[in-house]
Amino acid sequence: MSNKLYEIISRVMKIDISTISDELGPKTIENWTSFNGYVLLNELETGFNVKFTIDEAMDVENIADVKRHLVNKGIIIDE
Amino acid sequence: MPKENSLSDYINKSNKITKVFDRKIRISLLSSFTINGLSEILKVKSAERNISCTVYEAPYNQYSQEILNKKSDLYKFLPDMTFLIIDARNIFGEIFRFPYSISHLERAKIVENKINELKNLLDNYIENSNSKIIVTKLNVPSFSPNGIFESKTEYSFHNMIEDFNEQLTKNYLNSENIFVYDFDKFIAKNGEDNVFNYSQFFFGDLKISMDFLPVLGQDLMKYVIGYLGITKKCIVLDLDNTLWGGIVGEDGFNGIKLGPEPPGNVFMEFQRVLLSLHQRGIILAINSKNNFEDAIKVIKEHPYMILREEHFAAMYINWNDKVSNMKEIIKEINIGSDSLVFIDDDPVNREFVKSVFPEILVINLSNDPSSYILEIENLIDFSVLKITDEDRNRGKMYLKQKKIIELEKTSTDLQTFLDQLDLKISIKEVNEFTLPRVSQLILKTNQFNLTTKRYQETDIGKMIKDSNFIVTCIQVEDKFGDNGITGVFIIKKENEKEWRIDTFLMSCRIMGRDIEKGIMAHIINKAKENNIQKINADFIPTQKNKPIENFLSDHEFKKEGQSWTYKIKSKIKFPKYLRMEIE
Repeated sequence: MSNKLYEIISRVMKIDISTISDELGPKTIENWTSFNGYVLLNELETGFNVKFTIDEAMDVENIADVKRHLVNKGIIIDE
Repeated sequence: MPKENSLSDYINKSNKITKVFDRKIRISLLSSFTINGLSEILKVKSAERNISCTVYEAPYNQYSQEILNKKSDLYKFLPDMTFLIIDARNIFGEIFRFPYSISHLERAKIVENKINELKNLLDNYIENSNSKIIVTKLNVPSFSPNGIFESKTEYSFHNMIEDFNEQLTKNYLNSENIFVYDFDKFIAKNGEDNVFNYSQFFFGDLKISMDFLPVLGQDLMKYVIGYLGITKKCIVLDLDNTLWGGIVGEDGFNGIKLGPEPPGNVFMEFQRVLLSLHQRGIILAINSKNNFEDAIKVIKEHPYMILREEHFAAMYINWNDKVSNMKEIIKEINIGSDSLVFIDDDPVNREFVKSVFPEILVINLSNDPSSYILEIENLIDFSVLKITDEDRNRGKMYLKQKKIIELEKTSTDLQTFLDQLDLKISIKEVNEFTLPRVSQLILKTNQFNLTTKRYQETDIGKMIKDSNFIVTCIQVEDKFGDNGITGVFIIKKENEKEWRIDTFLMSCRIMGRDIEKGIMAHIINKAKENNIQKINADFIPTQKNKPIENFLSDHEFKKEGQSWTYKIKSKIKFPKYLRMEIE
């Protein structure tokens, strides 16, 4: 599953898949603007057929947060 | 949900557009809420149609400031087209949630004030810019605090917004520059709960969800198509399993599916949709592999056929391949292949036509005929900013054209044919009544067009008032009737001794009748009367204007450097077969 997750992050944030790591976030990814943050969540919702609550959406500060919320929704992320 | 790519696809693709196209458009986006991503969508969708689109996105909810400040970036950008996207929450503020905290009279007053505010703003913008502006209607939300009592409420919350929309439309019914986009219909088609997503609204002030922003972008492209005049003009249709169900050659006259009962009703209704497009100026033609006698019997005699012989500008019903027939249709109707739409149920035929004519819009019909109508309704390619009388009469014009072609076939030579046609040419200065049609010709004519300069209606309006320009249109009548305004020329007075032909064009409908000789004689004679010694002209070649490439040399213009020049000696005679009427 992480392939799909990384593919979406890479596409939305315009970074190479190999450079993605858990601690990356708006401060370290240049294209992670607030707008692209919404786009990312929207693409994840469509891609994994899930819905984020507004609390979850507000809570995302890095890739690890994204993974945590996906795992809580039953998505299996294998490293 | 309509088939669309995701917003991030558009954002990525827009960064990869490198090609610069001949057709260009500059669009400004003004809005009362976040529409991030819309500019990328418009750029990508434009590039897909070979248009270079540059976008200025004003900071959100600052549209009033941008319009009122004459030095704002909005004006510096010099847009061709501006979209102003507004919403009821923003326009009505607190009243949106608490409409019944005030009386119905107060509600009406608020609407009046808001409409006036917007009117002042739009008038101000139009006065200070050359841009067309497209303002959105407000979405009428389905919810009201009054619930089912809403329709018993005087000047209700819903009435307020409906009234706003109605007044907005009424104010600009005849405006050349202000257009009203029916955002409420967009919501009606796509669904309020789909387009408006509370989570995205609270999180990022998005009032159009990310999934539906590309759908909106597609709808707004209608204005780009209309503005640039790249509208499709003709639908070429197959017959078996397209206009009727079944195969007439096998199932017979009585066996095909066409009538008020299912499944024949599908085809009857599809034909009605096509007829409605024909009535507003879309040409229809047939390209079918069939026995001519079988098919024409259905077209002429079948009781449930909606489209009849008189609705088709060309009928190619034979056993030739579809591409050969298409070539003949293009020749007979005399239009650019890029203004054609092809509808055929057979994927093999579709692929074949597409492979030879990639510029033809080939509809990928599904295998369910009941979906044909929606596929046509969803096309954005017939969009025009204006429908003229010429459009409405186009069907009849082509019928007349067919008779002319028959006359030409029976005439022994061109001279006899032209004599028999009894051509009358009226040359008129353009005025406010002929302006819309003249602008339409200038935007759409490709083949017999010397310079292919594209002027909007407002540009030509300015030229009419400028004494340095002569803007003239040509109306052509013949023994079969009136062709309407089908030619335009614009002269720029360069100095006291020299004129320049800025624009010279004729609709393809009147090509091949040597009408241009009469018009050129008129220009030369008029120049002579004004003591002009030289007429200058340019020929700007395009992929499509080959028919006019020898026009200047045929009229004894001599090439001087990049330009062409005609030295006036004496007046010249009009061709004998033309009756000229100069107003």
